[in-house]
Amino acid sequence: MDMNEKPKVEEKAEEVAEAPRLPNTKEGRLVKAILEKAPYAEGSIRRERRVEFKVPADRIHEFLEVASEKFEILIQITTVDWLKEGEFELVYQLWSVSESVHAFVRTRIPRENAEMPTVMDIWPVAETYEREAHEFFGIIFKGNPRLGPFILEPREYEKHPFRKDFNMIGYVKMIYGEDFDRYDESKTNYVI
Amino acid sequence: MSERNDDFITYELQEFKLFEPLFRWARKKSLWIVAFCTGCGGIEMPPLATARYDFERFGIMPNPAPRMGDLFLITGYVTPKTLKRIIITYEMMQDPKYVMIHGSCPINGGVYWDSYNVVKQFDKYLPVDVAIAGCMPRPEAVMDGIMEIMRKIESGKADGWKRYRDNYEWYKKNQDELFGEGWREKEGKRWLAWI
Repeated sequence: MDMNEKPKVEEKAEEVAEAPRLPNTKEGRLVKAILEKAPYAEGSIRRERRVEFKVPADRIHEFLEVASEKFEILIQITTVDWLKEGEFELVYQLWSVSESVHAFVRTRIPRENAEMPTVMDIWPVAETYEREAHEFFGIIFKGNPRLGPFILEPREYEKHPFRKDFNMIGYVKMIYGEDFDRYDESKTNYVI
Repeated sequence: MSERNDDFITYELQEFKLFEPLFRWARKKSLWIVAFCTGCGGIEMPPLATARYDFERFGIMPNPAPRMGDLFLITGYVTPKTLKRIIITYEMMQDPKYVMIHGSCPINGGVYWDSYNVVKQFDKYLPVDVAIAGCMPRPEAVMDGIMEIMRKIESGKADGWKRYRDNYEWYKKNQDELFGEGWREKEGKRWLAWI
């Protein structure tokens, strides 16, 4: 037993020491190349063909310019509303055609008067995604000329319905009437 | 209602009433649909139209022009923005016209019951002749709904277009509550000739 256990412990210790270093795969080399140019960011590898960066909000434009040399396509800009922390998390999803790697670039900005620089000068397609994030969450992208009512009705545009503190039930009752209320099967308890 | 079914359509010559059963049979057997594919039901239309279920054997034909359509299929949830277009399209259609709604969402909101952007009760805004429950109804259920509407046309009970004309004030009030006054003039002026 002792003979068998000891080598295993040694192996595990070696693995723990190796984990923080980037592996010598195409993802590892890609992250390493970008982090050399942008040392303020944190990079990690989620799995094969998927990498992740965390960037402070004031240097996001600078970082995306560096990243756009390897990542040619901006797939999407996703927003997450963290109500308790009082922050919006913006996730820029990038795709590298040459390396076939998908990257998340995460950044956090305060919820009050959220402002970001636009990335339209890097990827022109960012215009649409920024308009969407502006309409649903109220983030202002400086430099985007077409911010404003986009796909919602004007009255919803003012409310930013994807924010977590948007009173959904109250709004629905206000505009569609109250006659859709839900009861449980015994018709006694009001479910909402 | 039953008295009104006698003058199912007003004829210039009273003796044309004699042919009313023939007209009903002809209408029932040549339903041209305006497939306004909202939501998830649009994807149930191709199996219905192709060889397996093949609704053309009932004389149903997909038709690109609402001015020639008879049957208006609402195939899923309806957002307020879509509802504007649906109302305009419905008013463009010629009488007699029938509306069939698919799935739970137009009936009571379905899984979107608390969504800010889905119309909860479709029949507050337009009259409905047949509603098929389910999420999403299979093509068999849609065929059953089509058979139902054919039966209703034959017996003269499919009178949604007549109800819309009689209770236009009520429907218009509900529409204006949702969209605000004067939306019809603003959005539909290009399409509705009488505005």
